[in-house]
Amino acid sequence: MIDHIWAALVMLASWKLMLTITICSVYGLFVGAVPGLTATMAAALLVPFTFFMDPLPALVAIVTMEAMAIFAGDIPAALVRIPGTPSSAAYTDDSYELTKQGKAELVLGVDVVTSAIGGLMGAVVLMTSAPLLAEVALTFTSFEYFWLAALGLSATVMIASTDPLKAGLALLVGLFFSTVGLDITLGYPRFTFGSIELLNGVDFIPAMIGLFGVSEILRNMGSSHLQYPITSVKAESIFKGVAKTLWKYKTNMVRSGAIGTFIGILPGAGADIAAWIAYAASKRFSKEPELYGKGAIEPIVDAGTANNACLAGDWVPALVFGIPGDSITAIVIGVLFMKGLRPGPMIFEQQPELVYAVYFSFIIANILMVPFGYLAIKVSGTMLKVPRNILMPAILMFCIVGSFAINNSFFDVGLMLAMGILGYFFENNGIPVAPIVLGMVLGPIVEQNFMVSMIKSDWDLFQFFTRPTAAILAGLTILTWLAPFIPTILRRFRSAAA
Amino acid sequence: MKISDTVVGAGFVAAGALIIAGTLNYPSLDGGAPGPSLFPRILGALMAAFGGLVGAKGLRNRDTTEDVEWLLLHKNTAFINAMFVLGGVAAYILLVERVGFLLVGALLLFVIMWRLKVPTLKAAVVAVVFTGIVHFLFAKIMRVPLPLGILWW
Repeated sequence: MIDHIWAALVMLASWKLMLTITICSVYGLFVGAVPGLTATMAAALLVPFTFFMDPLPALVAIVTMEAMAIFAGDIPAALVRIPGTPSSAAYTDDSYELTKQGKAELVLGVDVVTSAIGGLMGAVVLMTSAPLLAEVALTFTSFEYFWLAALGLSATVMIASTDPLKAGLALLVGLFFSTVGLDITLGYPRFTFGSIELLNGVDFIPAMIGLFGVSEILRNMGSSHLQYPITSVKAESIFKGVAKTLWKYKTNMVRSGAIGTFIGILPGAGADIAAWIAYAASKRFSKEPELYGKGAIEPIVDAGTANNACLAGDWVPALVFGIPGDSITAIVIGVLFMKGLRPGPMIFEQQPELVYAVYFSFIIANILMVPFGYLAIKVSGTMLKVPRNILMPAILMFCIVGSFAINNSFFDVGLMLAMGILGYFFENNGIPVAPIVLGMVLGPIVEQNFMVSMIKSDWDLFQFFTRPTAAILAGLTILTWLAPFIPTILRRFRSAAA
Repeated sequence: MKISDTVVGAGFVAAGALIIAGTLNYPSLDGGAPGPSLFPRILGALMAAFGGLVGAKGLRNRDTTEDVEWLLLHKNTAFINAMFVLGGVAAYILLVERVGFLLVGALLLFVIMWRLKVPTLKAAVVAVVFTGIVHFLFAKIMRVPLPLGILWW
């Protein structure tokens, strides 16, 4: 093993690889920090470049880029209330509220450090116990996957603040969008209205850009002075108070690192879901849940740790079993095939140094995140000095081109526009937009596993509760729905007893 | 632009009904078990139910100022600005393939900035420079095939 580790370190020590890491760090930070550009899109755009690279630089490029992008998504979330990537959506409101309170430096400092810590936690899990954890995930059947997705959906409604009814409606809209396209049982086209583009469903990325980017631009059109409140971010102060905050929430970080890694290992669930679930768990265990969404630092610590911890977790099933942990690792598997490598158990025997080098690249990327993140914050702070009447059209331009870049399709630009109008209308009427995105991500997982479970159990609903893990997940889901009523029920019991 | 919860709720009830109606002709699985229609129907029913509850809540807490907001929309600067953005993006989609990204993109930026009261010269310079930067990043570095239109590079 030592030989393989040494070989991996030697491979990483080349100046070409260091240059790749540096360029991809800057690329990831840029893509993550610009609203409307996502890590998935960045990974997809990297693929043509990786075609000209050896396998290791290709994989290292993706690892570095995604780690930096997921962190950098926090920057616009804090500064302009637009998550740079979906992974920052869960705590965007809290980040922005704190910025409005003059705590932008603390938020960004916590963002960068928790991202690095979360990433390192995920990397350690990937290195030490990846095969074991992957085996646990692979024991799951469609029943467990259904309940896990249902738990995610339930958490979405319950954390979506003040009005679970409206949050539920938004979630249902997202789930409906996920049904558009060919269905999984018969391949029958649903709600496509004769459109070829819709046969593959509603594309998640233009929808996200529309819901979070365009709707935000439309909302900003009402500001009389059309400038952001002047918030100067002193990059040199971003680490002030971070250690104290993180020490206070050290347990949260451990919990969220574990949640993030675990969610990452589960096939199909990525950093965005990890952030949402960590946020929900954080709110459940917090002493101050009433502050969530109004400017609490605690959920930023939790979700910020979880989304970066998730990234390494996502690679576990991808490397060990060839099953993508998220959309980016799906691209990674494509890159491996392109290089003539078949992901799976054999890669550990045939190319162990490659696997170790991937492990180490996670560590390098997350260590570099602190200085690179600092520089990114230092540069991005100037964004606020740009007048809003110039900044908003500029962001609109990135939204348009970012939407187009996914599939090189103008249909996606139209989709982005439609979603922007929907998001604008929803937000103005007190309906949160984030659950729409969650519904779109989890919808196919819920439906597919529900249908598979129903068919294999011969339409016996009882089977959803017979497997122990499924039963536990079902219990947790039901508990999530009952949680808001539990204090009331307990109070009534107590008053009746008195 | 806020509308009453009653109307919002009614809209969702209608949307739920439409979703269910849209699935009526979907095929079933072998043996008559529901297939492609099952999940959308559940969603449609839940949407109608949740919409009904929101609507009922809206009826109880009716706010008449929302009706006045609708009558004053044509004087609402935010609304008109938003329409400029929406119209601008729609025009971009229609024109960009024929005319090209550089021209349409710069024009879109200029029109919106001008509407948002950026001085004309400044808006023109920023529009041209920024569109050039975006073109360089996406078309040259990221290799996104932005339409060339009437320009040749």
